[in-house]
Amino acid sequence: MLSVFLMVVGITIITVSILVNQVTKDTFSKNNPGLDAVVGAKGSPLQLILSSIHHIDIPTGNISYQNTKEIIKHPAIKSAVPISLGDNFQNFRIVGTNKSFLKLYKADLISGTVWSQPMQTVIGYNVSKITKLKIDKFFVGSHGLIDTGDVHLEQPYKVVGVLKKTGTILDNLILTSLDSVWNLHSDTNKDRLEITSLLLKYKNKTSSFSFPRLINKGTNMQAASPSFEISKLLKLTGNAHRIVDYLSILIIILSFLGILFTLLNNINERKYDLAVLRTLGFSRWKLFSIILSEGMIISILGSTIGIICGYIIYESMYYFSIVGRSIEFGQLNFLNDLFLIWIIVNIIAFITCLIPCIKVYKQNIRSTLLNS
Amino acid sequence: MFICEDVSFNIDGQKLFSNINFNLKPQEDLLITGPSGIGKTTLLSILCGIQKPTTGKITYNSIDLYNLPENKIDEFRGKNLGVVFQNFNLINTFTVKQNLEIAVSAINTRKSIPLFNLLDKVGLANKSHIKVANLSIGEKQRLAVARAFVGDPKWVFCDEPTSSLDDKNANIIANLIKEESLRCKASLVLITHDSRIQSLINFSKIIRLGEQL
Repeated sequence: MLSVFLMVVGITIITVSILVNQVTKDTFSKNNPGLDAVVGAKGSPLQLILSSIHHIDIPTGNISYQNTKEIIKHPAIKSAVPISLGDNFQNFRIVGTNKSFLKLYKADLISGTVWSQPMQTVIGYNVSKITKLKIDKFFVGSHGLIDTGDVHLEQPYKVVGVLKKTGTILDNLILTSLDSVWNLHSDTNKDRLEITSLLLKYKNKTSSFSFPRLINKGTNMQAASPSFEISKLLKLTGNAHRIVDYLSILIIILSFLGILFTLLNNINERKYDLAVLRTLGFSRWKLFSIILSEGMIISILGSTIGIICGYIIYESMYYFSIVGRSIEFGQLNFLNDLFLIWIIVNIIAFITCLIPCIKVYKQNIRSTLLNS
Repeated sequence: MFICEDVSFNIDGQKLFSNINFNLKPQEDLLITGPSGIGKTTLLSILCGIQKPTTGKITYNSIDLYNLPENKIDEFRGKNLGVVFQNFNLINTFTVKQNLEIAVSAINTRKSIPLFNLLDKVGLANKSHIKVANLSIGEKQRLAVARAFVGDPKWVFCDEPTSSLDDKNANIIANLIKEESLRCKASLVLITHDSRIQSLINFSKIIRLGEQL
C-alpha cells in the first residue's frame, strides 16, 4: 500500500507541475499576439506587460494620449493599438481600445457587431458564459479593476457583440471604445486625454534595441518588451518548477524502491509456498509472471491514480481560474506528456520488478523445501 | 509405462545411489525401502521431476522427462503426477479448499473437478474453510493425499504417508491411497517402512535402496 501511495503522490505532483508549467507558458504565449513592445507609464516593465497584455496586475499609471500620437507616427512602428483600463464588470476588465485590437487577436464575433458608438461593448466568450450577458443587454461597470469600486450607474454599457472563443485573454475581456472610458473618467479637454498603454508592432525587428531606448531615455514613458519580460519571469518560476519536478522524481524513486523491497520481502516470506507451487506444476515462468504482475499492478495502479489525481487538481485550478480570471487555459497538449511519463514510470517499474522475478525463477525447489 | 533407466545421484562428488532400474506397467505399484538417509526421498524427487539425476533416464509413456524443457517438466508433473510429501508441503496460510483449488489451477484443465466430493472422501468437507495451519497432523495428511489425487493422475508418489500417524489414522490414509489409486487407475510409488500400509497394497515391484549400491 505504501508503494502505491508513494507512486500516487509522486505522479500527482509531476502531473500538476507539467500542467501548470505548460499552462503558464501556453497562456503567456497565446495572450501575446506577436507584440514587440508596450509603451506605458514609467515603473516596472514586467508590471506594464502583465497589466497591458495579460490583464493581470495593475497598470503602472497613465500616459498622455497626445504624446502617443507621436509614437504612432514613428517610422519604426508598423501598428499601434491604444488601450485604456480602469473599470470592471463582475471582475471582468473593461478595456477601452479601437477596432484594431480585435484584428490583433484575429477575433471573430459569434453574434452581433462591433461597437459603433460610445458605451457599446463587445464581450469575450467567457464573459458572456459567466455573466450571462447577451446582445442588447445593459450593465454598469464598477470603477477599478476588481468588483468593489464605485458603480457608474449614470452611464450603463450595452452589449452589441459577443466574441468567439479564442483561448486567449480576449475571452475574459469586455471591449469598448476609448470614448466610453473617457466619457466616464476624463474631463472634456481633449489635450488631457489619457490611456493606459500602447501596444506596438515594429516594421523591423532591429528596432527592438533602438526604439525602447528612445522612449525610455527621451520621454516620461517606458517601452517594455513582452518576450524579454516574460522570459525573465519564466526563468524565475522555472527554477521553482524544477525543484518541484526533482521532488516528485525523488518520491517516484522511493516508490520504485518500495516496490522492489516489498516484492523481495514477499518472495522471502513465501519462498516455501512458491516451491510448493512448483511441485504442483506451476512452471518457473508462471511464477515469474505472477510476481511480475504483482509489482506491475502496484506501478500501473499508482501511476494511473496519480495522473487522475493530478488531472483533478488541474481541473480544480481551471475552475478557480475561471472565477479568478488570471490564467487562461487553452487547448493544451498535455496528454502526450502525461502518457509519456506513465509509460516511462511503468517501464522503470518493470525493470525494477525483474530483480525479484529472476530470484524466483532461479529458486531450487528441493533445497527450498528441505530448508523449510 | 513408467521406466527408470540407470538412474544415479551424487552429492558433492559422493555417490548416493546408482543403477536404479525398473519399469512399471499401468496400475502396477512400486515399493521403495531402505535405511534412513540412503536417499529414498531424493530418488522420489528424481522420479517426479523435482530433482535432476546425475545420470540416467526417466520415461513416462515414451516421454523422456528430463529431456523436456524445465517449464514443461513442471507442467507434466502438474498434469500427470500426484505427490504426497513426507512433510505434506501444504500452503499453511491457505484454507483446505484453497489448497485443492491451487492444485487444480496448476493442472490448467477445463474439466470441472468436484472438490467437495474429494474433501468428503477424506473427511474434510466440513473443514474446507479452515486454514491448514489449524489442522491436526492426521487432517493435514488426508488433505495432502486429496491434493495428490485431485487431477486423476496416472502416477502417484507417496513419501512415508503414515509415518507420524497413529494406527487409526494410518489405516484411514492407507485405505484412502489404495481406493483413490484404484479409482484413478494410477500406479503407486510408495516409500514406506510402515508395515500397516505394506500389508494393504499388493506391490508388483520392490526396490531396496542400499542393496542397489
